[in-house]
This record gives sequence, C-alpha cells and structure tokens, in this order.
Amino acid sequence: MEMIILLIVLALLAFWVARIYNQLVELQNRHENGFSQIEIQLKRRYDLIPNLVETAKAYMSHERETLEAVISARNDAVAGLAAAAGNPGDATAIQELAGAEGILGGAMSRFNVTMEAYPDLKASANMVQLSEELTSTENKVAFARQAFNDQVTQFNTYRSSFPPVLLAATFGFGNDAALLEFEDSQEIQAVPKVSF
Amino acid sequence: MNFFQAQTKARHNTRLLTLLFAGAVISLVVLTNLLVLVFFVNAPPGTSLENQILHAPPQVWLYTSLGVVGLIAVASGFKFLALQGGGKAVAESLGGILIHQNTRDPQQRQLLNVVEEMAIAAGMPVPPVYLIRENSINAFAAGFSIHDAVIGINQGTIDLLNRHELQGVVAHEFSHILNGDMRINLRIIALLNGILVLGIIGGGLMRGSMFSRSRDRGGLIALGIGLLVIGYGGTFFGQLIKAAVSRQREYLADASAVQFTRSAQGIASALKKIGAHSTGSQITSPQADENSHLFFGAIRSFSSMMATHPPLEARIKALDPNWAPTPASQIQPSLPDNPAPAGASNFSGGQSTGPISQFSGSANLAAAQQMIDTADPSLSESSHDTFEARAMVYAMLLSKNESVQAEQLRLIGQRAENGVPPLVPALFQRLSSQNQRHKLLHLERAMPTLKEMSHQQYRRFYDLTAKLIVADQAVDLFEWVAHRMITQELYAHFVKPQRSRGRIARPGRVSKQVTLILSLLATVGSSNENERRVAYQRGQKIWGGDLPMIKLEYFDHQALNQALEHLRELNPALQERFLDACASVVNADNKLTGDEFSVIKGVAVTLGCPLPPI
Repeated sequence: MEMIILLIVLALLAFWVARIYNQLVELQNRHENGFSQIEIQLKRRYDLIPNLVETAKAYMSHERETLEAVISARNDAVAGLAAAAGNPGDATAIQELAGAEGILGGAMSRFNVTMEAYPDLKASANMVQLSEELTSTENKVAFARQAFNDQVTQFNTYRSSFPPVLLAATFGFGNDAALLEFEDSQEIQAVPKVSF
Repeated sequence: MNFFQAQTKARHNTRLLTLLFAGAVISLVVLTNLLVLVFFVNAPPGTSLENQILHAPPQVWLYTSLGVVGLIAVASGFKFLALQGGGKAVAESLGGILIHQNTRDPQQRQLLNVVEEMAIAAGMPVPPVYLIRENSINAFAAGFSIHDAVIGINQGTIDLLNRHELQGVVAHEFSHILNGDMRINLRIIALLNGILVLGIIGGGLMRGSMFSRSRDRGGLIALGIGLLVIGYGGTFFGQLIKAAVSRQREYLADASAVQFTRSAQGIASALKKIGAHSTGSQITSPQADENSHLFFGAIRSFSSMMATHPPLEARIKALDPNWAPTPASQIQPSLPDNPAPAGASNFSGGQSTGPISQFSGSANLAAAQQMIDTADPSLSESSHDTFEARAMVYAMLLSKNESVQAEQLRLIGQRAENGVPPLVPALFQRLSSQNQRHKLLHLERAMPTLKEMSHQQYRRFYDLTAKLIVADQAVDLFEWVAHRMITQELYAHFVKPQRSRGRIARPGRVSKQVTLILSLLATVGSSNENERRVAYQRGQKIWGGDLPMIKLEYFDHQALNQALEHLRELNPALQERFLDACASVVNADNKLTGDEFSVIKGVAVTLGCPLPPI
C-alpha cells in the first residue's frame, strides 16, 4: 500500500516538474517571438538610413564625416542585430545591439543638428518624407521593444519565482534573459501621465 | 455537412469516445486489482486462485481501485491543464515562430494573405500564423474555439507549394477548426496520457525492484511487468481509436477544403507534392505526436491501423478520381504559380466532390478577395502594423460630435503610448470614407496584429477602448460590435479561451432572448414598420416561435449582451437555427445595411461561430 502511495506522489511530482519545464519553454518562446517584431522594425529603420544619407549628400557635400559616421554606425547596428536575432536569449548579444543602437542614435542626432544649417535640405520634400518615416519607425521600434521587455520580464519573474527557481538552472534556464534598453529609454519608456 | 452539424457530430463522437475510455479505465482497474491480489495478498497455502480473489479483503479492492483511478485522473488532469493554454500554447510547444503581420518576407506575406482571405471567406476571426522550422510539407491548426485558433505552417510548405496549393492546405486546416476536430481529441490526449502513466510507473517499478532486497521482490517485479503491459497496452488501443477517428476527420477536412476553395486541384496537387518530396510530411519534433491529428499530412509513417491520416493515394483519389499513381504524375506542378486571386476560372470544377459543407454559401473566397481589394490599401497596411493598428481602432471609435471627439482625443493623448496620438486624426480622416462593413473588415484584419501585443500593452489598450466607447455616455451599434470583437477575440488570446457547454436544447428557454435579437435586426434593417414586421415574421417562422415583435425605442446594449449570454449556451443545432433565423431577417429585403451586418457579426462573434450566409 505504501508503495502505491509513494508511486502516486512520485508521479505527481514528475508531472509538476514537467509543467514547470513547459511553462519555462513557453515563456522563452514568447519573448523570442517578441524579439523578431523588433527585428522587423529595426531592419526597416536601417533600410531607411542609407536613403536619408543619399538625399543629404547632394546638399551636405562638406559634411562627409558626419555622413560617414552615420553609415558606419548603421552598419555596426545591422551586424549587431543579426547577432542578436540569432540568439535573443543571449545577454551579450543583446547588450552589443543596444550599444550599437546607442552609437547610431548619437550619429543620427549629430546629423540632425548639422541639418539645421541646411534649411533647403530640411525643407525638401524627400527629406520631410524620410524624416517622417524614420520617426514613425522609431516609435514602432519603441513599442515592439516595450512588448519584448514585458515578455522578458515575465520570463525572468517566473524563472526566479519559487518553486521554478529550484529547477530552472537544471533545465538550462539558469540566466535571466536580457532586457533591450537603448540610451533614450527614459524618454520612450516614460509612462504617459495618467490622471484619475 | 455544415459547421453546426459538424459540431453536433463532434460532440457526439466525443461522448462516445469518453464512454469507450471509461470502459478502458474500468478494465484497467480490474486488471490491476487482480495483479495486486495474486501477488500481494497472503492467503493460506492451498487456497485456489479463484478463492483467493473472491475472498480478498475489501480494503485491498478499495485502495487499489482508488489508486489506479486517482493516478489516471491526476495525470489526465495535468495534461488537460497544460492544454488549456489554447492554440497558441500548442504552436509554441511545437517550436512555432509567430509570423508577424507586418512581415516583409514575400513568401510569408503571401501565406498571411491566403490565411486572411480564407478566414474572411469563412466568416471567422483571422488566426495568427506560426512558422515551423521543418523542411517537410505539412501544416496544422490548433485551439479550442475559433477565437483562440492558430495555424502552423512548415517552412517546407511555403517553400515548395504555390499559392493555389497553399490555399488548399490552409482551407484544410480551417476545416479542422470549423469541424471541431481540435476539441474532440483534447480529451483523448488527456486520457491517453493518464493511461500511459500506468505503464511508465510499471516500468519504473520493475526496474526499481530488480535491485531491491525486499521480501516482496518477485511480486513487485511481476506487478511492474503487469502495469507495464496494462499501461502500454491501454495506450496502444487508445491510439488505435484515436487514429481511426482521425482518419475519418481527414477525409472530411479535405472535402470541406474543396467546398471552401471551390477547387480540388490545389489540395490534390499539394498532396501529390508531399508524395514526391523526400521527407514527405514528416515532423521531427517529438511534441508533434500528441497533436498528430491536427496536421495536414501524416507526421510519421505508421502501418495502416495506427495511421492518423488515410494513405496519400486514397486522399488524392477522393479528390481527383481520374488520377493514376504513376511516377511521372507525382511531380506535376501543372498549375501556374501565383494565379491571380479571384480569377473566375478558379471556381469551376470540384463542386461535386465529397460531402458538401456550406460554411457560408455566399461569403466565398471570391467575395472575400473582392471585399479586401475594395478596401483602402493604406488602412490595410495600418491594420497589419502592431503600432498603427491600435491607433486605427482608437480612430474608429472617435465620435463625429465635436465636443465628444475633443474629449476622446484628450483621453488618447493622456493614456495612449508615445507616438500613437498624432496618428489618430489622420486615420480618422481616412476611415471616414469607408462604410461600416469595410471598417469591420479592417478591425477583423487588425485582430491577429493586436494579438502581438504584450499583456501590459493589451491591458492598456483594452482600458482605453472602453473609455473611448463610453466617452459620450452612450453605446451605439458600431461601438457595441467593436467592443464585442475586442473582448471576445482578444480575451481568448490573452486571458483564456471561453468555452460554452452548449447545454440548452429546448427552444422555449430562450424565446424571449431570440425575440429581442430578431426584433433588433428587423428594426435596424428598415425604417418602414410593415417591412420590419414582415422581416421579423420570416425569422420567427424559422425559429418556430410565436412571440410578437418588440418595439425598440433605442439601442440597449446591456439587454442585448444579457440575451447573448443566454444564447451562448445553445446547443449547436439550436445555434444553427437561431443564426438561420437572424440571416433570414437580414435577407428579407435583399439589402444588407451596415447596422444589420454589425448586429449579426456581434451575435456570431459572441456565440463563437462563423458568420451565417447573408
């Protein structure tokens, strides 16, 4: 009789463990799916930047350095994105992407400052449209990033809660997944003011 | 066979299978008891086996039976819980990667378009699509209801099939969703899991006691072997039952797919390609086994008794009686790649094949494609972008009244995420040129996009839409149906799938509710009192009630919601009769107004069934 009770307890335990494992896998899949949404938007952004530089070249022939900085930062970011997309759970790849994005953001803001000195360029139809598209893409990146970070947080919280924390490392979920934070994050992540 | 008959049959089959399994569990209990009695109860030497069993202490019977039943119940329960996550959970457990609605990959874009057209043709929500990284040709559908259903497609499928064949495959998967095949097998999977556990424990016991020095060692080993045989034997027979049911459902799904696409060629040609492909339709993921019945093609090659799918040749023959399996004919992509959508020539042959299942007679694929083609393309793009889709929904809910609109814009400015508020006015402008049906189409297409939000984003979106709807202190028909779609479809995805038991079988129990909805449909359908009465009578005649039409002074969404809460519990046969009655009120004057469409859409969404033919 004790044997049967013991077996039942063991079976229960086995299923409980299986359930924790499944939950971990599910949450991991979910945030990895979230990353591919960011990837779509970032790619779109990286595709827009060369067009922007191309348009600017005609007007800003004396600012080669600024333009080259934008292009090289953009190329680094493309490489960073490819590495991170290959393994969205890997903290170093995510951090490298965030770093490359930061540099690109800096180059872009220098470009924008420089552009202030060229009112013709700023007012050209092409430029207006490209800037608008870039802004919209940046908003989309921010939104996708927020969703990804929500999902990563959910995974991390579950992983480090009790009892999953006892088993997570054994199943190969030993490390927290990394949040994707860009330098401008304060601005983007600021919660809109809500008054009740 | 239509959606509702299929649902009834599915429920019937489920009950039958549950009975079969109950029988299996009882025999398992008896067998285990016998094992325990023979090996563990010490009887005086010389007692015959018969006496030993007959005179065993009752506690032994009791404890053993409780143990076995409890074990099966617990194991089945765990599995059942694990499957509660709905279609999304199944797709993710198979390693599916969500295809984003704004994907820029042309192949994936085409797939999403095919799925979208098919969903709109079937009058059901557009399901999210998952990509499975396998090079074989296969696809699956999973979920409890049409609201949480998802579709999964192998990489090989989109690489190797043309648009026409893809349509056939997707239509086959939609048929599984609409025929209720996902639900039948859910219980079977859970019960099989329970029985399998006995076998696993038996195996463990046997191996464990080999090294034990206990006095009972021999008995334990024997019990282990016994349980092993019982558990795996039970699972084996369970699999046989499951496979037999599954094969029948495959023929039905093939036939339904033909009805859907009005062409047997696409699906037949896809099956031929599976036959010619080196890895066929096999799936390597071990998780796929328990969902094998949801796939388009067989995921393993089993002998015929255990096969979940009928042989390819038989399926092709059923679709294309003239086909002869010669090696040369196996690879014949005779169809042009990417035929123009809605081409009239695609809708000729194939009508006579198999049982006809009318999901929605008039709303066929051509009509759906036409509907999509006439919609504003820039809005289509917005409905496929996670970021803009929300802005589009907000814009749809803006009032034409200026002071209310100002208040709504203030709410959006305050509560929406960064970057969203500036988009809203432009989208409002563009939406103003669209009629109500087109607006609902855009909303429907935005649903899978909105399902890509995170939980937090969903909650914020949901709160804001609710606030926008009540900003003018009133709820109009469009706001009502929009809210219905948002709550039913997104709730099923983000929280949990809602399931009705379908217990109401007597029409008399809901006559008041039916009268209210038929009256509402008649009222919004015409401004002429006589025409309203005629339309209402037509509906009541189909429903079989005799209550007089209710005079409705204003649109009372709360009464409507309460009525629908009751009607949700109708059994499929009555659901069908009710929706037929609704459709006949709408069709009375052969004109479909936007308000009529909204009501019937809201009704179908709440009941969790596809739109009736209108």
